[in-house]
Amino acid sequence: MTILDAFDRMMEHTARRIAQRSSRRGVLARLGGALVGGAVLPLLPVDKTGAKLAHANEFAKTAQTKDPTQCNYWRHCSSDGYLCSCCGGTVNMCPPGSYASPTSWIGTCVNPDDGQAYLIAYQDCCGKDSCGMCFCLGTEGEMPSYRPELNNDIIWCFGAPSMVYHCSSQVLIGKA
Amino acid sequence: MRLQGGRFVSGVIAAWLATTAPVALAQQAPPIPAQMPPAAAQPTQEDHPTLTLPEPSPRWIYVLEPVFPYLVASKVWILDGDDLSIKGMVNGGYTPNAVMSHDKGRFWLAETYWSRGSRGVRTDVVTAFDSKTLDPVGEVILPNGRFLVVPKKHNATLSADGRYLFSFNMDPAFSLSVVDVKEMKHVAELDTQGCSLAFATGNTSVASVCPDGRFVHLTFDATGKLTKTELSEPWFDSQNDPVFEHAAVHRPSKRAFFVSYEGWVYPVSLDGTPKVGERWKLQGPGDEEWRPGGWQLAAYHAASNRLFVTMHKGGKWTHKQAGDEVWVFDVAAKKRVHRLPLDHHSPTIAVSQDEKPLLFALTENAILMSYDTTTWQKKAERASLGISPWLLYTFGE
Repeated sequence: MTILDAFDRMMEHTARRIAQRSSRRGVLARLGGALVGGAVLPLLPVDKTGAKLAHANEFAKTAQTKDPTQCNYWRHCSSDGYLCSCCGGTVNMCPPGSYASPTSWIGTCVNPDDGQAYLIAYQDCCGKDSCGMCFCLGTEGEMPSYRPELNNDIIWCFGAPSMVYHCSSQVLIGKA
Repeated sequence: MRLQGGRFVSGVIAAWLATTAPVALAQQAPPIPAQMPPAAAQPTQEDHPTLTLPEPSPRWIYVLEPVFPYLVASKVWILDGDDLSIKGMVNGGYTPNAVMSHDKGRFWLAETYWSRGSRGVRTDVVTAFDSKTLDPVGEVILPNGRFLVVPKKHNATLSADGRYLFSFNMDPAFSLSVVDVKEMKHVAELDTQGCSLAFATGNTSVASVCPDGRFVHLTFDATGKLTKTELSEPWFDSQNDPVFEHAAVHRPSKRAFFVSYEGWVYPVSLDGTPKVGERWKLQGPGDEEWRPGGWQLAAYHAASNRLFVTMHKGGKWTHKQAGDEVWVFDVAAKKRVHRLPLDHHSPTIAVSQDEKPLLFALTENAILMSYDTTTWQKKAERASLGISPWLLYTFGE
């Protein structure tokens, strides 16, 4: 298993554990450390309750669910970069000729239609230079890069064949 | 004339090669275009030489421009801080980090290239630039890559004696690449134990910030072998009130000031194992609506012991919102001494380290402003400085 495979699996595992614990118990999702090629990527408890959700709701107050090419589309609450929806792709499909990254950080956004919180994987599409269209910056729940699992400045192309950032996707993981 | 010029350049490079070994050659002498016959060179009444800069002034400002819509083609602009006239520019690679030398003779870019622009073989490299000619004068390949992220200053720095350049790497394993910039060679890859960023603490030691609010402090020997790894106690709450990555750091005095999302200031001594002093708060009574925010949001002027922070009115998770004001603090008294309303809100600031420092503020739409911190008057403003200028550097910082 390569480092990227390990990272990929670790991130998927992380996402599932956040989703399971948050939705079923509504308590801190406690994540252990994961070994990545000899270096430890420590994952601290991720608060998916109370305060963070309240702020996801703050974005949701002015969010809409019809037009994913706008910054106030509900899934973009923590998205940072050029929207793939403006670059020939969609919220969960990469533009032709780009590579879908399997890794990402994870945000929590509220869909104003049903009032439910959802976990969103901010996976990048990679392999071409920046799309340059529809720049949006959402910062709900976003942390500095020494907490990489919660940072949106990183080129999230780990595991893709290229580390060149093209655009930002917002892929649904499930209910928070 | 052009042909002669080309020969002259070749001669200069050959002479330079003879004097600068073992510095690796960054660029081969440009070949004389075979398709151009000598007679095609245009005779002119005036000479057409290339300028060389004087020794950089501490009041010059170096602006790193990652060019977000075209990330493969970054730049560093160099401007005179007093009038914001352009002194020159260098090209860089993908999401570069700049590092300024202590003696002003060099600056370096840690940068990334692909052989076909946006595709092909990836190369990560530390490139040395002569600060007078702005020529690339050497390079060291980073064999394990570097961290690709929207540029953050503290992903690269220089040891206290100026010998080692540290480049943070997350690939996604965490390490610090150590480059000997005297011998121009890659020395080591230090395991940061999952911690990020690079804060030099001596000639052969460096600290990183950990996800749980600790420092990891790494010491190595002349061969690059890690001789000591120290983990501090947690000194901030990384879950509820993380510190911004862009601490205000002054390398000569080995002082750093980390600012948290909520406005706490953590003074840190970077002289050996990091020592965190008593924290204090930016906001006082009546300031409840204000919070720090932006990108390179804090700067420290050592001689006057003053800390500058960009502030805005906003709620939680507005940590990347640009500052409407710069608040100025007397660090000894832990007291605000001035509020400077900015003409254009700015996420990034820097301060020159001379006696009557200039404060620079950079907006998200490519406007750079220069303020005199003795009168708080704006000295200059320049719009359209590239497309997305992002970080500010000065010599002496």
